[in-house]
Amino acid sequence: MNFADVPGFASVTEERGETTVVIEPARLREASEYLRDERGFNFLSDIAAADYLGWNERTVAGYWGHRGGRDINRPGSWGLAKKPEPKAKRFSVSYHLVSVVSGARGAPRLRLQVWCDEGESIPSVVSVWPTADWHERETYDLMGIEFEGHPNLKRILMDDDWQGHPLRKDYPIGGEPVRFSGAE
Amino acid sequence: MALAERKQAPIYTGTRIPSPIPSVLQVDPALREEGDILEVNFGPNHPSTHGVLRLIVELNGERVEGVEAVIGYLHTGFEKNMEQKTWWKAITYPERIDYLSFQINELAFVLAIEKLLGVEPPPKATWMRTLLSELSRIHSHLIWLGTGALELGAISLLWYCFRERDAVLDLFELVTGVRMHTRYFQAGGLAEDIPPGFFTECRKFADMFPGRVDEYEALLDRQAIWLERTKGIGLLSAEDAIALGQSGPVIRASGVDWDLRKVQPYLAYDQVDFDVPVYFNGDVYDRYKVRMDEMRESTRIVQQCLDGMPEGPWIVDDRKIVLPPRHELHTSMESLIHHFKLVTEGYRVPAGEVYVAVESARGELGCYVVSDGGSKPWRVKFRAPSFVALEATATTVAGSLVADLIAILGSLDTVMGDCDR
Amino acid sequence: MADVGRKKRLADYGLRSERTLMRRKGPGVFEQELGDLESKIGLTTVGKAVAWAQGHSIWPDTFGLACCAMEMIAIVGSRYDVARFGAEVFRSSPRQADLMIVSGRVSHKMAAPLRQIYDQMLEPKWVIAMGACASSGGMFSNYAVLQGVDKVVPVDVHVPGCPPRPEALLEGIVRLQEKILAGVPPAYEIRGVAS
Repeated sequence: MNFADVPGFASVTEERGETTVVIEPARLREASEYLRDERGFNFLSDIAAADYLGWNERTVAGYWGHRGGRDINRPGSWGLAKKPEPKAKRFSVSYHLVSVVSGARGAPRLRLQVWCDEGESIPSVVSVWPTADWHERETYDLMGIEFEGHPNLKRILMDDDWQGHPLRKDYPIGGEPVRFSGAE
Repeated sequence: MALAERKQAPIYTGTRIPSPIPSVLQVDPALREEGDILEVNFGPNHPSTHGVLRLIVELNGERVEGVEAVIGYLHTGFEKNMEQKTWWKAITYPERIDYLSFQINELAFVLAIEKLLGVEPPPKATWMRTLLSELSRIHSHLIWLGTGALELGAISLLWYCFRERDAVLDLFELVTGVRMHTRYFQAGGLAEDIPPGFFTECRKFADMFPGRVDEYEALLDRQAIWLERTKGIGLLSAEDAIALGQSGPVIRASGVDWDLRKVQPYLAYDQVDFDVPVYFNGDVYDRYKVRMDEMRESTRIVQQCLDGMPEGPWIVDDRKIVLPPRHELHTSMESLIHHFKLVTEGYRVPAGEVYVAVESARGELGCYVVSDGGSKPWRVKFRAPSFVALEATATTVAGSLVADLIAILGSLDTVMGDCDR
Repeated sequence: MADVGRKKRLADYGLRSERTLMRRKGPGVFEQELGDLESKIGLTTVGKAVAWAQGHSIWPDTFGLACCAMEMIAIVGSRYDVARFGAEVFRSSPRQADLMIVSGRVSHKMAAPLRQIYDQMLEPKWVIAMGACASSGGMFSNYAVLQGVDKVVPVDVHVPGCPPRPEALLEGIVRLQEKILAGVPPAYEIRGVAS
């Protein structure tokens, strides 16, 4: 499927059988309505946010050994340390969409992705898919991303007076230190 | 498909999703002025809320006029904890999310790892995973029926269902060594070979079980009190169900033929023959019927898996992700090094992001995994079907009595571990 | 010896920790142990009668939280039958319950209702911390989970496991019965909460 005419389109990638369309956050609501009405993605399965703070600081050895063999001519493809490509912004919010048609055998899935930084807010899609209500509240609670236009944006999983957003990378894991576990 | 083309009258016209907040049913202001609204707190410690769910219910007499669900009392921080562990260790965590169909949660995460790694487990592992997933589904529906019927007054069902549940857990114990939270799936296949004696016992169970489902249906299907308490209660139309993101038995009871095992087959579901029960009234009774029929279909799948179980290895042969057999450690230096690297550091999963969705007993269980190429996950997010099912509380509960509230919550089959993660 | 001021442990009362439900030591050993214990604690006849009644009719509170709750419901089932120990009557109201089996992980948000339910129970009351999460936080050493329910309520018996088999929970209930019958006071009199 061609996604170039989604409002706010920035890029599309297809890997491992999954399509990811990245759009500008400002036009998210338009794009959502377009995808729901014109393209039939009437089911919002999940809103998943990821924090990429520290993404390219940790060196990871290139993945050595793969069923398909490895290309020894490509530096970094075996054993040599490399850093992942840095990301432009800190947070990515992925909307996993499905086109639900009763009786269908085979359904297109799409990942609609927007990127934002600390302090930036994203338009809420509750008016497009009502199920986004609690997903957005959870994202706000655990990641601290604000959704403007959400009718009831308050904490959902943590206590109402909790400070901080636990799933961010700069929030400590907490708990009690356990000796020799590496989690001290 | 004849089923999809069948024209049914819509369950109700228009939408019943409350506005402006879709998950909160608010009392009509006129009623608040003239009526006598009592605000009652249900839970979090309540026998009928299936775990630690808190509902703030506003009642006008016996009628529910306003409801708001407060969750988070079982928030465990799975996702953050999994980021601290290697991929291998992290597989222990997802099971405890939905603790009724625990092997299906494990399956979602393991399938995501395999998708990132690009490995294909051997057929024996695939078929065994299918079999165990279906046994997990039976296990989950048995507990749902036992506790759900208990709450509506059919108390003896609890003992019958738990008798069968113990039979299923005996099978799990025979295969994996533990009753619950078996940790049997590994990236690349199964952790160990299937012990002898399992197939005989499993076949005995599969032969015995449909008769038991018949017994439960004989008790409930046409029982006057059961019908009164479940027919026409908790209506949810197909459009509202899709808009609210419902899946699994809830959406199938509203007339939408949507089952991920048929729509996007994974494991061996495209090689076994089973039907997807779809009912069209969208009430509690239909959700009950869907789950009863699903138990029968699961038994069919189990029998077919037993018939069609292939021979062969139980885990893929790639030493970069799978431990070599122990006898090789005495003779092969490479095996020793691989063993060492795998145990200390763990295998590395290539960078990327995937979303794998499987059909759990509650609906679409999704696992979104982001890897940076290292030995620990960067981000794991579970799309929990119970989290989404509770959003439908406000829509389904509109205008019902307090007693119906209990029936509706039971029919949505929420597990708070799954909801709060 | 440097055990002056040490808190009393069950071994001091004579109970051996490797005892299991299956009595392999022959008839009369359990009764003999109890007899020794009773002579040490010195319950009056009335005290013994009351302890016998309390121990053999402990009514648990429905405090099922997570996976351990499933195994707790399994002991109500016909295979593991907790009714033989007098504890099949699970009361939803804490006012009517004697025993709180904390089964499952306790998040910080749930810690306040947990303490509230405990406070609403009437004395004498006992607490079993079922499972690894209730005993110590289990595998969840993180921001969300209370690292052991004994930080909030005083615990009488910890039952390890993830989840403990129903037989293990029954062993925990039997150990609690032993304690009660021997006259050992409930946990809130012996120790407070952990720090």
